[in-house]
Amino acid sequence: MLMTSGPWVWIAGLLTLAIYSFLYKDNPFYKVAEYIFVGLSAGYWAVFLWWNYAYPNLFVPLGEGNYWNIIPIVLGFMMFTQLSKRTSWLVRFPLTFVLGVSLGLQVIAAVEGDMVPQLQGTFSPFAKGALFNTYNFWTSIGLIVLLVGVLSTLTYFFFSREHKGVLGVTSKIGVYFLMVAFGASFGYTIMARISLLFGRLHFLLSDWMHILR
Amino acid sequence: MRLQVPLAIILIMGLFTIVTSFIPARPIADLNQTFRNWYIGIITFFIFLGTINLVRVNGEKIKTKASDWQYSIILITALAVMLIAGFYKGRASTDEESVFMYLYFNVQFPLEATMYSLLAFFVTSASFRAFRARNKEALCLLLAAVVIMLGRVPVGTAIWKGFPEVTEWIMSYPNAAAKRGIRLGIDLGLISMALRMILGIERSYMQ
Amino acid sequence: MSILERISNLDRRIIFLTVAIAVIVPLFLPLRLPIEVTPPVQQLYDVIDSMPARSVVLISIDYDPSGAPELQPATLSIMRHCFAKDLRVLVLGLWAPGVPLGVSALEEVAVGEFGKEYGVDFVNFGYKPGGAVTLVNLGRDVHDVCRQDHNGTPVDSLSMMDDVRAANDIGLVISMSMGIPGSDQWIWYYHARYRGNLATAQTAIGAPKYYQYLQSGQLVGLIGGMKGAAEYERLVGRRGLATVGMDSQSISHLLIIGFVLLGNIIYWLEKRKK
Repeated sequence: MLMTSGPWVWIAGLLTLAIYSFLYKDNPFYKVAEYIFVGLSAGYWAVFLWWNYAYPNLFVPLGEGNYWNIIPIVLGFMMFTQLSKRTSWLVRFPLTFVLGVSLGLQVIAAVEGDMVPQLQGTFSPFAKGALFNTYNFWTSIGLIVLLVGVLSTLTYFFFSREHKGVLGVTSKIGVYFLMVAFGASFGYTIMARISLLFGRLHFLLSDWMHILR
Repeated sequence: MRLQVPLAIILIMGLFTIVTSFIPARPIADLNQTFRNWYIGIITFFIFLGTINLVRVNGEKIKTKASDWQYSIILITALAVMLIAGFYKGRASTDEESVFMYLYFNVQFPLEATMYSLLAFFVTSASFRAFRARNKEALCLLLAAVVIMLGRVPVGTAIWKGFPEVTEWIMSYPNAAAKRGIRLGIDLGLISMALRMILGIERSYMQ
Repeated sequence: MSILERISNLDRRIIFLTVAIAVIVPLFLPLRLPIEVTPPVQQLYDVIDSMPARSVVLISIDYDPSGAPELQPATLSIMRHCFAKDLRVLVLGLWAPGVPLGVSALEEVAVGEFGKEYGVDFVNFGYKPGGAVTLVNLGRDVHDVCRQDHNGTPVDSLSMMDDVRAANDIGLVISMSMGIPGSDQWIWYYHARYRGNLATAQTAIGAPKYYQYLQSGQLVGLIGGMKGAAEYERLVGRRGLATVGMDSQSISHLLIIGFVLLGNIIYWLEKRKK
């Protein structure tokens, strides 16, 4: 990476400390760092979108005679009509085009990319018969747990009937499955957060201060 | 014109995308590909719009001297610096040894990474203050969390060799079951909402 | 104020300090505890290991600097494995802020360590906006979505791309992902249509969600967080930042478990007193 030595690494180090100063309390150093971050990020996205997509895929082909590209460019520019109250209704044209395409794809993706394979994954191990002959003991138990868990969790989210009797017991089991899953997410979240802290502290101690080798 | 045409566009594009997904024949599939390319082209302008909006909101703050307006000057300056760095030499502006990349690796990168790393401190503090086994369900959550935390770090294995295997089993079955149940519920919701929007029943996005 | 009250009202800055210490101390006094390889990581390793030479692996950099401590070590290890097996590598990014990280990884591994040639052994397409919709188009016609590479070179002029035209020509896709667009889109929009092998490396926050896709066979491997990256580093036989970080993880995890237990002990004692 381009974080080697000289003034740049000092800038990176001091900005890191400016953000950490928030841990003591909110202060101007943190705020300056925060606003620099927002400004730079916005500029970064604009530059990358231009050089990686808008320029090569929209404007270069247009220059080469692909006049169909006028349509997305015009619809794209119509997004800017939102900036004025008088013309803001025009934004509905690009917006509905974009929504139409993405929602259409979403319907198909939810069915063929998620629901069908997920239900297959839940039920197909049982269709093969002889569960315990096909898989080892703990996998077989796991697959039964998986089936019970999916059905009971779905029952918990079924709000059209009062959760009483069999429905009540099943949804209660579902709650315990959800708790295990939330516990798992919590455990993994700790790892994620510590990783980020490790990354920054490692940078401060090695690249900046050269205490660590 | 203001309502019916947009409703017609979403209906036609939505239904066309769904129906033609099952038709791999070339002219239809090519047309679909073209529509999707237009989609990508249009959403590119969303980001440019966002940038313009950011300048507008902060420019307004500076003009009216709203609270913390001085910081808005810093924001706009940072934005301008990045834009100049990204365009002044044409495409070469984003080359590996460019000012743009130095700004990314030494300013944007540390700021973003550090900002999110603050959460390590807050999550620890919250674990101490808020993570209470107030009932059986919460106890279940707490136990699962502790077992999984121990099963995912080497020190857990040093304490008991079985932690990684138990953790892997919990992740693969009870955890996957609940996540799958949630996901299937979300899918049903997504499909119904998408169809409501395509059919023009749900129009709140036009407000 | 009783001892119980004092502990329960502990200044949060003291807690912050203990976390920092728990992360820093192992950097100077490493424990070097062994790292066990879990099945989801081993599965991905085996898939890459069994691919014929010159097959194409697409690595999608779907993260930004905040995901780098977890995902960059995994990216480096996967690239090392691919180039050691003489596989060809395509890189693209669904997240613009991740693209320079992909460039940096290629520079370090492909050029620096393996002396691979750009356009022959690897290609970087750079950032591709559009998320899910882009992936649908990509599987059908790679050259249509990626007209120019990251540096503006026309993709048609790169010899490696002569026989890489659509999803069929890509042996394995690995989404290094920390959110949307990322692995979800690769699974629902790309894999559902074009099949083939798909794997993911996730930040730890995202990882639990993907076990369901592993079970259903939609994923052929899963690297979860820094631990997963450390496992892959072990498999490729090269100690990297993820392995170094695991000692800090161990101590911090013990500390946080300690805080959770302490908080609950105080809660139960206070409840009994009332």
